[in-house]
Amino acid sequence: MRHSFTAVIEKNATFQEDFETEPYECAWASEARWFINVMELEGDGAKLSARVQVSPDGIFWCDEGSRFEPMSEPELYSLAVRDFGGWLRLDCELDGTDANVRLMIYLVLKE
Amino acid sequence: MALANADIRLSRFNPLPRILAFDDFDDGLHGWCELVGNHNGDLNELQPVFRDMRPAQLSTCTFFDMGTHGAVDGTYSMKLATRPRKFHQAVAIKRLTSAADGLVQFEAWFTYKAEQTFGGDDPGARAWDGNYHPSEAHFGSFTLWNDICEGTEPRDRYHAALRYENTNEDGEFTQRWLYKTGLHPTTRMLRGGFDSNQNDVHVAKPDMWAPIPGGDQQLCFNEVPTKVNWHYLRWLFDLSTRRNTELQVNDLTMDLREIPVLRFDEGYWGISRLLNLCMDVRTTSNVRNFLYLDSVVISADW
Repeated sequence: MRHSFTAVIEKNATFQEDFETEPYECAWASEARWFINVMELEGDGAKLSARVQVSPDGIFWCDEGSRFEPMSEPELYSLAVRDFGGWLRLDCELDGTDANVRLMIYLVLKE
Repeated sequence: MALANADIRLSRFNPLPRILAFDDFDDGLHGWCELVGNHNGDLNELQPVFRDMRPAQLSTCTFFDMGTHGAVDGTYSMKLATRPRKFHQAVAIKRLTSAADGLVQFEAWFTYKAEQTFGGDDPGARAWDGNYHPSEAHFGSFTLWNDICEGTEPRDRYHAALRYENTNEDGEFTQRWLYKTGLHPTTRMLRGGFDSNQNDVHVAKPDMWAPIPGGDQQLCFNEVPTKVNWHYLRWLFDLSTRRNTELQVNDLTMDLREIPVLRFDEGYWGISRLLNLCMDVRTTSNVRNFLYLDSVVISADW
């Protein structure tokens, strides 16, 4: 049986500016799927973007190449990733005037 | 003991006769999960101290300067990681129930680190001298604790909590073992307006900890943030006396039988025979703190 684990990376968190998620170790997994549940998104032209980032050491980061399509409404969004090495995080951009987002971010890993 | 000695992976432990769990994190997290506070489905109801206790990770102990460190055996350990924010706390819990009153023992091989930082030494901090590294002062504390509830009657519930305090709230080295002198503020208490700083899951105020007699101990941080040395820990507590019995960490064994363990005056519903075991790490700096467990054995005499 293949191991799997779901980590809640952000829990009912609110942001008014760009942010990166906390580093998460995933060397044991061969596949990953991010979920972003945008529960509230407010502000004129508010839009959330998220790029997948990888790291050799959990300290220095670069883009992996995958990104979510821009999120402009409350909804559940998802993105699959493979060949990511030992760490994953999301680099998130929040655009718009007086933008505010409340969300859940999950990382689902499978051996 | 015969069983433990016959198994090379168990021979570094000293379990009681019945092993309830042998959690070798080379093959998963074994039910150690993020602690979350009580809510009614609306996560806005979570009390601040319970909102963000971080998911446990399976770590390779990989560092920027030397790559993968690995664990005592195999590659993986369980890692608890704080955010890089003063007084943030990461908490993992394993949830069991007890079939009888009696002794329960928690054993682990563990290590701890603060995240590597670059440049920008803290003002006034003791400088790197080739042996001492200022990273050691970035590490706050780690705590092992339980949550026990025998039934629904008043005074059936209690928490024993033992903390290794590397630095105090002001970031000064203390390097000692503590026990708590205040109740764990539960969600029900906090919803009722209980006065709490809400930055330590164990107590309402930072002065609600006291030193364990004979509990001064310097652990093996090992000079830099990228070398890990694994430590043996054995914590014995007694469900029949509702007390700790003893704590052994390497060559130091502390007799805890006279250490008071506070009980809740009110009764709690729906948690009869609760036997939760928890570990956490709490930073006293704006640097991520990590607690790693190579493996855990939980055993009982019943």
